[in-house]
Amino acid sequence: MAKFIIRRFFLLVLTMFLVSIAVFMIVESSPGNVAKNVLGAFITPEQEASFLAQQGLDKPLLQRYWFWLMGSDRTAARKSGLELELIETEAGFQEWWAKGKDNTLMRWDIEGDDLTVYVKDSDGKITSRKDNQRWSDAKDGSQIFWGIDRSNHAVLWVKGSANEVWTFVVGTGWIKSTGGPQSYIPLKKGFLRGDFGVSLRTGRPVGKSLFIRLRNSVVLAGIAFVVVMPLALMLGMVAGINEGSFKDRFLSISGMIFSVIPEFATGIFLILIMSHWLELVPGASVFGEKAPWQRPDMLILPVLTLTLIELGYVLRITRASMAEVMRSAYIRTAFLKGLPFWQVVLRHAAKNALIAPITVIMLHVNWLMGGIVIVEVVFGYPGLGQYLLDSALYKDVNAIEAGTMIMVLLAVGTQLFADILYTFLNPRIRYS
Amino acid sequence: MEKTQNRSEDKIKSQSDINGINQKASTSKTENSKKSRFRDTLAVLFSSKAATTGLILVMFWVFVALLAPYITSYSPTEQDWKAPNQGPSLSHPLGTDELGRDLWSRLAYGARIVLIIMPVNEKLWIPGGTAIWGVLAALFFGASLGLVSGYKGGWPDEIIMRLLDAMMSIPVILLYLIIVAALGASAVNVVIAIAIVGTPGVARLVRSLTLDIRTRDYVRAAETRGETLLYILFMEILPNAKGPIIIDAMLRVGYAIFAMGTLGFLGLGMPPPSPDWGSMVAKGREFILMGNPWASLWPSLAIASLVVGLNLLADGLREESMRYQ
Repeated sequence: MAKFIIRRFFLLVLTMFLVSIAVFMIVESSPGNVAKNVLGAFITPEQEASFLAQQGLDKPLLQRYWFWLMGSDRTAARKSGLELELIETEAGFQEWWAKGKDNTLMRWDIEGDDLTVYVKDSDGKITSRKDNQRWSDAKDGSQIFWGIDRSNHAVLWVKGSANEVWTFVVGTGWIKSTGGPQSYIPLKKGFLRGDFGVSLRTGRPVGKSLFIRLRNSVVLAGIAFVVVMPLALMLGMVAGINEGSFKDRFLSISGMIFSVIPEFATGIFLILIMSHWLELVPGASVFGEKAPWQRPDMLILPVLTLTLIELGYVLRITRASMAEVMRSAYIRTAFLKGLPFWQVVLRHAAKNALIAPITVIMLHVNWLMGGIVIVEVVFGYPGLGQYLLDSALYKDVNAIEAGTMIMVLLAVGTQLFADILYTFLNPRIRYS
Repeated sequence: MEKTQNRSEDKIKSQSDINGINQKASTSKTENSKKSRFRDTLAVLFSSKAATTGLILVMFWVFVALLAPYITSYSPTEQDWKAPNQGPSLSHPLGTDELGRDLWSRLAYGARIVLIIMPVNEKLWIPGGTAIWGVLAALFFGASLGLVSGYKGGWPDEIIMRLLDAMMSIPVILLYLIIVAALGASAVNVVIAIAIVGTPGVARLVRSLTLDIRTRDYVRAAETRGETLLYILFMEILPNAKGPIIIDAMLRVGYAIFAMGTLGFLGLGMPPPSPDWGSMVAKGREFILMGNPWASLWPSLAIASLVVGLNLLADGLREESMRYQ
């Protein structure tokens, strides 16, 4: 058993690793580029190049993957010879600083040929002064400095170079400045150390927005789960007990029909009927700053859509399992002993008939996620699926990777959990 | 259940031929027996109400797709800017969309893209619908991998199956999103996405069938004759596994249409002017709140009915075949 779990855990890690590489390669090889997607189609080539350099996207693929996976702070620390530290400010921003003597923190800026150092001492006060002795001689005779700039990059400044930098400020537009760095390394801790990086689309840390989206999706899926499971297991048992009857055929065929209709079609039908014609509930889930549970009326249609889709699937599995159990010898014996019908069904049959559905449902998480993504798009629900779709359309690689990893982890993790659960529910199974 | 007892012996035989693995290697089949087999298959189909309904739904869309130019009075891209967003009327039986295009024409030509033709680029259109090509590609790659894996065994089997397991554990929607969002929206890329997503499932099915068939005498005979690996895989094993594969393929066409609709809905389907059902729903959705539900209702109904039809058909066939086994 332990060996089995270890093997499966190893497979999980391997899957995530392969998927993360595949996502990087696919995003890399696809047409279109993130600069145009984020900043609009009319940016100049210089602006595009400057944006890509600042995001570290001009680096080779392998290096970018490494930075994403393991972080770039060590490489940056080696290049600059400074000790780097990530702090969180009171406003909740993450900032990288170089660590100086007696716990002061330093960052630099450049004006013409003059370096300015910003020093933050231990009580949080920031002072600035000229800091030109940092320049060192490079091999080709120019004067260079590897330092930390004020927007979380490790950068290479070269004295006297006139590199143009374009920065886009929301509300103001493009700002052009000269004397920019030759090379940027965006600082991050890397996926394995719990840092998903910064979203190229929004400029915010992926981890923060992803967490809220994930919470919203989990709320939606959780409510749907609580509604679907008892209903589907009950109806499935009813159908399975009367195998071949009209009730059975009606339930299993209508269940099948609902489960194969695409989620968006079901969603559209429900919006039309419940919201457009009957005007009972809102046809979209727009929360703004609120959490989903503060507007329960907006959850009704998404949950109903998911319920209809999942109901049929679980129902059919329960039905098949129940029908099989009802044909078995020990159930016949129980009936022949003269036990009451419901006692046989509930105490003898249900116990064994529910093993298969419970584990199969776990395996079904894979499909459920697909359903949730579509339902989120149909109703404009601010969940993980919507986030992933937007990121994919923008080619926002950090956000895609983070969303993908979470989804794969959830899917493979539940599969592993289902297999383990199965051994406890059904002692006849032993993995070796 | 009662119905099954009245069935004659030969139907039972024909069923196991269609659906199970052929027990006998191809015995001499005359033209005549082929015809009667076909008739028996139809008889089995029509004996199940669900399967009949499914067949009718599917045939309806096949005919609409085939006859699209003859049963519509507008071109699918013809815009009538005087009559946008209209409900059903005499001149437009299902109404018009936001650009005044006839919804019935768009539905009918949309069915063509799904079932009859595939637009490779603006000039080249090849026969065979987009969904059909997706399934065929999945069948080809899946069957090849499954055959090799099942017949060879050992480390090729282990490597192929572990990789496919890893692929299968990735949420399907994620694959679709990443593949199509990255490759761009076009019919060929939709086919690629459907093929990649479908391959592991087909491979598993074919592998399990191959494991069974490779122990048969006729495979031994072919090995002894010194036939090549390709001959044994594709001429001996594959034809004898075709029953379950056909039913699986039918379900897969359903999934593929489902996937096409979903991709279109997410804005990852065919490029705009083409009458793609999923894209029609996505576009029409914006006008529901403005009081015009028709543009999103009809294509939703079309996808739903076609997918349900295919599933009813495959389900009916499978259930009927299981009763005889």
